Amino acid sequence: MTQSDLITILPLLALVVWACALLLVDLFIPKGRKGWTALLAAAGLALTMGLTLAQAGREASGFGGMLRLDGFSTFLNVLFLGSGLLGVAVAYGYLKRMDLERGEFYSLLLFSITGMMLMAQAADLIVIFLALELLSIPLYVLAAFARPRADSEEAGLKYFLLGAFSTGFVVYGITLVFGATGTTSLAKIVEVLAAGSLGTGSLLLTIGAALILVGFSFKVAAVPFHMWTPDVYQGAPTPVTAFMSVGAKAAGFAALMRIFVMAFPSLSADLTPVLWALAALTMFIGNIIAISQTNIKRMLAYSSIAHAGYILMALVAYGNPAVAADSVASALFYLVAYAVTSFGAWSVVMSLEKPDAKGLEINDFAGLGRRNPLLAAAMTIFMLSFTGMPPTLGLVGKFFLFRTAIEGGFIGLAIIGVLTSLISAYYYLRVVVTMYMREGEPQAEGEYWLTFTTVVTALATVVLQFLPAALFALAAGAVLK
Amino acid sequence: MNFGSIPLTYYLVLSAALFTMGALGVLIRRNALIIFMSVELMLNAANLAFVAFARQYGVFTGQLFVFFVMTVAAAEVAVGLALIVAIFRTKHSIDVDQMSSLKG
Amino acid sequence: MTAEQILFLLTGALILGSALMVVATRKLLHAALWLVAALFGVAILYAILQASFLAVVQVVVYIGAIAILFIFAVMLTRREMRDQGQQTRTNWWIAALLGLLILAGLVFLILAVPGADRLPAALPEGLDTVRALGNALVSPEAYVLPFEVASVLLLAALVGAVYIASVGKKD
Repeated sequence: MTQSDLITILPLLALVVWACALLLVDLFIPKGRKGWTALLAAAGLALTMGLTLAQAGREASGFGGMLRLDGFSTFLNVLFLGSGLLGVAVAYGYLKRMDLERGEFYSLLLFSITGMMLMAQAADLIVIFLALELLSIPLYVLAAFARPRADSEEAGLKYFLLGAFSTGFVVYGITLVFGATGTTSLAKIVEVLAAGSLGTGSLLLTIGAALILVGFSFKVAAVPFHMWTPDVYQGAPTPVTAFMSVGAKAAGFAALMRIFVMAFPSLSADLTPVLWALAALTMFIGNIIAISQTNIKRMLAYSSIAHAGYILMALVAYGNPAVAADSVASALFYLVAYAVTSFGAWSVVMSLEKPDAKGLEINDFAGLGRRNPLLAAAMTIFMLSFTGMPPTLGLVGKFFLFRTAIEGGFIGLAIIGVLTSLISAYYYLRVVVTMYMREGEPQAEGEYWLTFTTVVTALATVVLQFLPAALFALAAGAVLK
Repeated sequence: MNFGSIPLTYYLVLSAALFTMGALGVLIRRNALIIFMSVELMLNAANLAFVAFARQYGVFTGQLFVFFVMTVAAAEVAVGLALIVAIFRTKHSIDVDQMSSLKG
Repeated sequence: MTAEQILFLLTGALILGSALMVVATRKLLHAALWLVAALFGVAILYAILQASFLAVVQVVVYIGAIAILFIFAVMLTRREMRDQGQQTRTNWWIAALLGLLILAGLVFLILAVPGADRLPAALPEGLDTVRALGNALVSPEAYVLPFEVASVLLLAALVGAVYIASVGKKD
């Protein structure tokens, strides 16, 4: 193992070793004191975050080019580790309250985050495949974590069956790409394509890329591969849902960006129309069905589908070299905006959730504005950010997305984006109206770390909009090299 | 026996047929176990095609991808079957169309 | 026709026939057994493709572990071995039609692959395949990273499966 190998893998290695150690240490932590496990998990995440940040700006490649460390991976790793930290923060009190306190939760969470980080760093289709599984398998278990409650078990099984099905597509897609190029390394695929000796084999490559796209569309919940999302999001324990809606989606997009922008820009003539249709359908269907939801978890599930559509919109123009960097940058920016907002909204949902999945109707939010002004104000910020209204991060994010789409020449798509955002205002603002205009006596949980998460994400939603765009251009530049 | 008298096309057609059959099984059947078995058929179809491609290209170590797919399949089976058995204990049914505690 | 070609055709028929039975049969246990047959057929093809290591792994892991776990699961989830009631979704024929279309598309695609009708070059004489694969698995320049990731994956799956399967008593 060379020094470059070690540098590339260091953060991953630290997290894996920590997760394994946590499994052992947890055995000696008595029941009822699992707060220590949570604390240790958070410490591991913070340590890894420190290592990742210490390596910021460095570029390295290791293990025969299978693993990369660059601005793109650093950026996404920080996002994954941050969502992991927030996940631990919201899970601790929730698990205690719902009588689910088990040490395995945190180890599985760390394994899943390892998979996500590996996904952001992978530069070989084999590693991408293994990373996909390493992030998914712990999530299947976490979705079913509240067993033997039937809805949680069903969520786990549904997520698992759809996940396994989509794995089949990814594997077949990788096979066809290998069949067309004779290699699984992204860098070598680029070389083969540049040599231009593919001939009719390029059809094979296109179909392979399309199958990979289908597989990851399941992961990021894009229409028409979204059917599992509402059921799984509703049935899974809410902290898991929050983590899944942020981490798994960001990891799926990380892989899509790495594969498509790096290896397949030459296929954009064939794939751009497909991406266009996926993005338009996802924005449209996600927002339309969200209107009729009465359960807040299902509504946020459809909202997360719709946001996958907005992020896909940024990727439609990926093949155009003039906007490719912008397209990745705006997708990354929106991922951050979505992550912060989504975690915040889910933390408010957790504050109001009662055992046995009670307190999850939108009507249960009635009167929150009077009973608990802080929570209601935070939820208002999140709903505004989801809609894309000032003064929030969501507005800036959507602005970048629409600008990228228009620069890429997809004005029609941008118009669809604006129109569906207007539709979405209806159901997001309905939550705000319910909180302030209707009478009710909601009992909110005052748990420290949960409130902390709500406040931090609400502040971040407002403050982060002043982040310099240069940061994102830096991250985006890395993926194109 | 003289190896190498079968062109790649034959393997690929066989693999495509197997993949389609697996995908159909997932879409058509309602029993969670059969759906999962069909997924295994899809993975095997991909593996077969991969080995045939690797043989054609003479990329010998390419076979290791298939080895990793098998490992992952084993991990998935462990988790998946645990889930299926657990849900059967709770509900006495593994018909995916009867999972109605969550409505769409 | 050479002996190899005859063997290939027989095995291909075995695989497709068994796969069809997996998808179509009403009896769960039969489906699991047909799955074993299909997996065994794939192992034979690996042997014909001179991937002897994979042929062995296919038998040991896929049939020896995965298929057997399936049979266990069938026995754990069925009081009686015969399935009653509707087994297919009501709109199954739409899926079947779609499947035929996909198959036709894939076959068309495969026939267009350049050089697919050429026979593969013979493997070099005296190639020690198992040694070569073993070296590749632990070489940092080759596959040691996926190998280690796979081990972490198995650990995570193990922990998860034990958690799910452990009886959910209040502890």
